[in-house]
Amino acid sequence: MSAAAGVLADGLLAAGVFFVLAGVVGVLRLPDFYTRLHAMGKCDTLGVGLIVVGLGLQHGTFHDIVKMLLLLLFVGLANPTSTHALGRAALRSGLRPWTPPGREDRS
Amino acid sequence: MSPLLVGAMSALAVATTLSLYRVLRGPTVFDRLTGLGLVGTKTVVLLLMMGVAMGRLDLFIDIALSYGLVSFIGSLVLAKYFETGGAQGEGP
Repeated sequence: MSAAAGVLADGLLAAGVFFVLAGVVGVLRLPDFYTRLHAMGKCDTLGVGLIVVGLGLQHGTFHDIVKMLLLLLFVGLANPTSTHALGRAALRSGLRPWTPPGREDRS
Repeated sequence: MSPLLVGAMSALAVATTLSLYRVLRGPTVFDRLTGLGLVGTKTVVLLLMMGVAMGRLDLFIDIALSYGLVSFIGSLVLAKYFETGGAQGEGP
């Protein structure tokens, strides 16, 4: 492994952890379920993808890297699907989206 | 084990613990499911990092894949279940 690949892998790992933490802050701080779902769906998928690519660049043998790419493909398919299923389930069960105070007439 | 990996594992552990707040305190059941999904994806990544730290990445990748599958199917089934109001049957 060359030094450039190591630096790139470290950068990808740090960026992935940043996006995962941003997703957690969003889920904790945003005002209602749909906005929290927005934070979870995108930040988490991107963070997991970056971390998996970083780990594979740094530590994997060829066999491990192929399996990590399959895991990446699976997470990339499964995470948006479960996010969509959760959002649709909430909408169909009658949960109303949040509107900012003073703008309720638009909902 | 590099210091960056230790820091990343600690940050992910803290993030998983913080996600549990949403599971315990979510006003609706869908907020709780959102928190569960967060815990699931973070556990997959944490398992991969544990594999790197212990030098058994080949073993831990399979565990992470299985855990991801179970977490995904559980999330889908629970979303389908609560779509029609759960046990109360209050759905459309």
